[in-house]
Amino acid sequence: MLQQEANTAQIGQVARVRPRFGPQARHEERMFYLFISPWLIGFILFWAGPIIASFVLSFTNWNLLGDPQWVGFANYTKMSTDKFFAIALVNTLYYGIGSVILGVAVAFMLALLLNQKVYGQAMFRTVFYLPSVVSGIAVALLWLNIFNPDFGLLNQLLRNLGVENPPGWLVSPQWAMPALIIMSVWGAGGSMVIYLAGLQSIPEHLYEAAAIDGAGRWTKFWVITVPMMSPVIFFNLITGFIGSLQAFVQILVMTDGGPANATLVYGLYLYRNAFRLFQMGYASALSWALFIVIITITVIQFALAKRWVYYEGEVPGRTS
Amino acid sequence: MAYSNEEELARELVRRKLNRRQIIAIGLRLGLGATSLGALLAACGQATPATNTSATAAPAPTAASAPTVAPAAEPTKSTSLYDPGDSADGPWPKNATGDPTSKVEISVAHAWDATFFERQKQFDELFMKRHPNIVVKAENTPWGDFRQKYLTQAAGGALPDIFYIHFSWAQDLIKNGTVLPLDDFIAKESDFNIADFTKPSLPGYQRDGKLWVIPYDEGPGIMYYNKDIFDKAGVKYPDDTWTLDIFKEMAGKLTSGEGQNKIFGFSGTPGPGDSLLAPPYLTPFGAQYLDETQSKYLLNQPEGVKTMEWWMELRTKLNAVPSPAEQQALSQANINAFQVGRVAMILDGSWATPGIVQNANFKWDVAAWPKGPVKQATFSAGSGYGIAKTSKNVDAAWIYENEYLSSAGQIYMWGTTGRGSPSRSSAWPSYFKSKFAPANSKVILDSLNNFDTTGKLYFSTTPRVTQEAGPIWDLVVAGQLSVKDAIDQIGVAIEPIIAENRA
Repeated sequence: MLQQEANTAQIGQVARVRPRFGPQARHEERMFYLFISPWLIGFILFWAGPIIASFVLSFTNWNLLGDPQWVGFANYTKMSTDKFFAIALVNTLYYGIGSVILGVAVAFMLALLLNQKVYGQAMFRTVFYLPSVVSGIAVALLWLNIFNPDFGLLNQLLRNLGVENPPGWLVSPQWAMPALIIMSVWGAGGSMVIYLAGLQSIPEHLYEAAAIDGAGRWTKFWVITVPMMSPVIFFNLITGFIGSLQAFVQILVMTDGGPANATLVYGLYLYRNAFRLFQMGYASALSWALFIVIITITVIQFALAKRWVYYEGEVPGRTS
Repeated sequence: MAYSNEEELARELVRRKLNRRQIIAIGLRLGLGATSLGALLAACGQATPATNTSATAAPAPTAASAPTVAPAAEPTKSTSLYDPGDSADGPWPKNATGDPTSKVEISVAHAWDATFFERQKQFDELFMKRHPNIVVKAENTPWGDFRQKYLTQAAGGALPDIFYIHFSWAQDLIKNGTVLPLDDFIAKESDFNIADFTKPSLPGYQRDGKLWVIPYDEGPGIMYYNKDIFDKAGVKYPDDTWTLDIFKEMAGKLTSGEGQNKIFGFSGTPGPGDSLLAPPYLTPFGAQYLDETQSKYLLNQPEGVKTMEWWMELRTKLNAVPSPAEQQALSQANINAFQVGRVAMILDGSWATPGIVQNANFKWDVAAWPKGPVKQATFSAGSGYGIAKTSKNVDAAWIYENEYLSSAGQIYMWGTTGRGSPSRSSAWPSYFKSKFAPANSKVILDSLNNFDTTGKLYFSTTPRVTQEAGPIWDLVVAGQLSVKDAIDQIGVAIEPIIAENRA
C-alpha cells in the first residue's frame, strides 16, 4: 500500500513537474502551425474568406462598380417572385432526380455484370470506367454530335429501328433535359467501381447459407445483395444528388439553358446573374439558397436512410 | 484554295494591288514551288523588283489560302500583316496638355485579335517615339473575357488608365462613375474637331450633356454576299434597286441542297432576343421594338406582329435559313457558315470584314441592307476608349487617347488596315483606298450616313430584356408558339424591366 502510494505520488510529481508550455511543447506547437500554414492560408484566402464574403454580399446590391449597397433580405425575398428562380429549381430537381436514379441503377447493374467471372473481365471493367475520366468539355462536344437530330448517331439508330420522327433532343424544349440525363449516365463508371468494391466485400457464406435454404438468384439479390450494398447505394445517392444539383459546365457548353429555358439549371442561372448581369448580391443569395436546398435534401435522405440502409456492424437500439 | 490555277490567283492578287514581296509570301504560304512561284509572279506582271522597301514582310491576308491546307512555314521576320510605316506621318494633334517632364507609365487595355494587336503594338511604338516620357503598357484580352476581367479589376480599384468600352457597356460605366468626362480635355485642344465624328457614333457615349468615351469606330450593318453562290443560282448581285421583298424572294432561290451540303439563302431569322433587332428588321416596315425612351413596348402593335410574321416565312415557307438542328451543327463545329460558303447572304457589322477577308475562299462583296416598304434602315454599333476615374496619370492618358483616336490615329489603325468604319469622317478615304477593304466599301459610309440607325437597345436593362425575350422566341422557332402569342408574352415579361427606364 505504501509502495503504491509512493508510486502514485511519484507519478503525480512527474505529472506536476512536466511543464504544460515548456520549450519543447511550444516548439512542437510552432512546428505544427508552420506545417499546416500553407493549407490554412489557402483555406482562409480561397475558401472560408470568399464564403463569408459571399454571405455578406447576399444582403447587398453590387454590380462590381461602386460600393455594395445594403438591402437586407431583399435578395432573398426577390427569389419568391423571380420566375427564373422557380424554373431553374424545377429543372435542377428534374435533372437531379433523373440522373441520380438512372445513374445509380445503371452503375449498380454494370457492377453486378462486371462482378461475374468472365473472360476479359479486366478489359470490360477498364472500358466501362474510361468515360468517367474524360474531361467535361470533351464529353459535351461528343454528345452534341450524338444528339444532333439530323445526323447524330442516336437518331440514325432510331431511324434504322423504324422510328420515323425521332426526338429533336437538344433543340427540342421537351427532349433537351432527358438528353442531358442520358448523357450524365455515360460517366457511371466512376460509381461502378465503388459498387464493385462493395459487391466484393459481401461475405460469400451468406450466399451459401441462402442457397442451402433454397433461395433462387432473384431472392439472393433482394435479400442479400441489396441490403448489404445499401450503405454504398446510400453514399452514391448523397454524393450523386449533391453533384447533380450543381451541374453547370456541360449544360453551359451544350445548350446554355435553352431551348426556351428547358435546360436552365440552378448553377447556370447563378452564373448568369453573377457574370453576365453582374448582380453579385443576388447571385450570392442564390448560392446560399442552393446550399440550404442541398442541406435539406441531404438531411431528408439521412432521415429516410434509417428505414432502408443496413449497416452490418450495427446493433438495433444500441447507440455505442 | 478555291482558285483553279495560277492565272485566277494572279487576277485576285493584282486586284488587291499587292507588291512582289507580298505575292512571294502568299505563294510560300500556299506551298508553291519555285517554278509555280515564278509563273505566278509572271502572271501578276511582277518581273521587276517591288518598290516597297519595307523591312517588314507584310503578306496579304490569307484569303488566298484554303482553310483546310496547312500554310507553308512563316517567314522568320515579323509576321505582321501591316507595314508600320504606312500612314505613320500624321499630322498628329498639337497636344495642348504638354508632355510630362519625367517618365510616366500608362496602361491601355485592348480587346483585339492577335493579328490586329500587332498593329496596336506598331502604333504604340510610334507614339512612344513621339512622346519619350510616356511609356505605354498595352494589355490585350479576348473580347469574350474582357468585361468580366475588367469589371473585376474595377471592383478591386485596379483598372488600367485607358480601356476599351463596347457601346452596350458604356452607359453602365458612365452611370457608375467609372470613367472621366472628357469635355474639359477636348476644350483645351484647338484642333479637336467634334464635328468630324459620324452622326451615329457619339450618342451612346454621352450623358448629362457630357462626352465620356471617345468612339474609335461606328459601323453599320451591311449585307455580305457570296458571289459564287449567286452565280451558281443564276441570281443577279444585290444593288440599290433591291427591296426586302426581293431579298426574301432571292433567299429562297439561293437555297439548295440537303444535309451537310445544304446552302442557305440567309443566315437566320431575327428575334426579340437580339438587342439590334429593330433597325434592320423592324424599322424598314415602320415597326418598333421599344420607344425612344426604351420604356414602352411597341412590338405588339399590328405592324410589329405582321413584320415578325413576314420574317418567319424565311423559315416556315422558304426553308431558306438553318433549322435549330442545322444551326446547332454549325455552332458545334465552330463554323462561321458564311466564311465556309454555306450561306449566300448575311447581315453583319462592317467590322466582320477582316475575318471574311482572311478566311473566305470564294468571291464575295458587300451591299447596302435593302430598303423596306417604309424606309431604308440598318443597325450601327461601335466601341471606344475611356479614361478610368482611378487613373493616376490622367494627362498622359489624355495625350495618348487624343492621338490614338485623332484623324491620323484612326487612319493608321482603322483606315489603311481595312479594319473599317472609323468614327471620324476624315479617316474614311484612307479606308476606301485600303487594299483590305471590300470592292464596294463605299456603301458602308452611305449606310452609316443616310440610313436610319436608331432603335437598338442599349440601356442597362437590355441584358435582362433579351434574357426574357430570347427563350420565349425559342418556342416560335421550334414551332410551338405563334408569333402573336410570343410577342404578347414577351410584352408581359419585360414590362417590369423596361419600367425602370422611366425613372
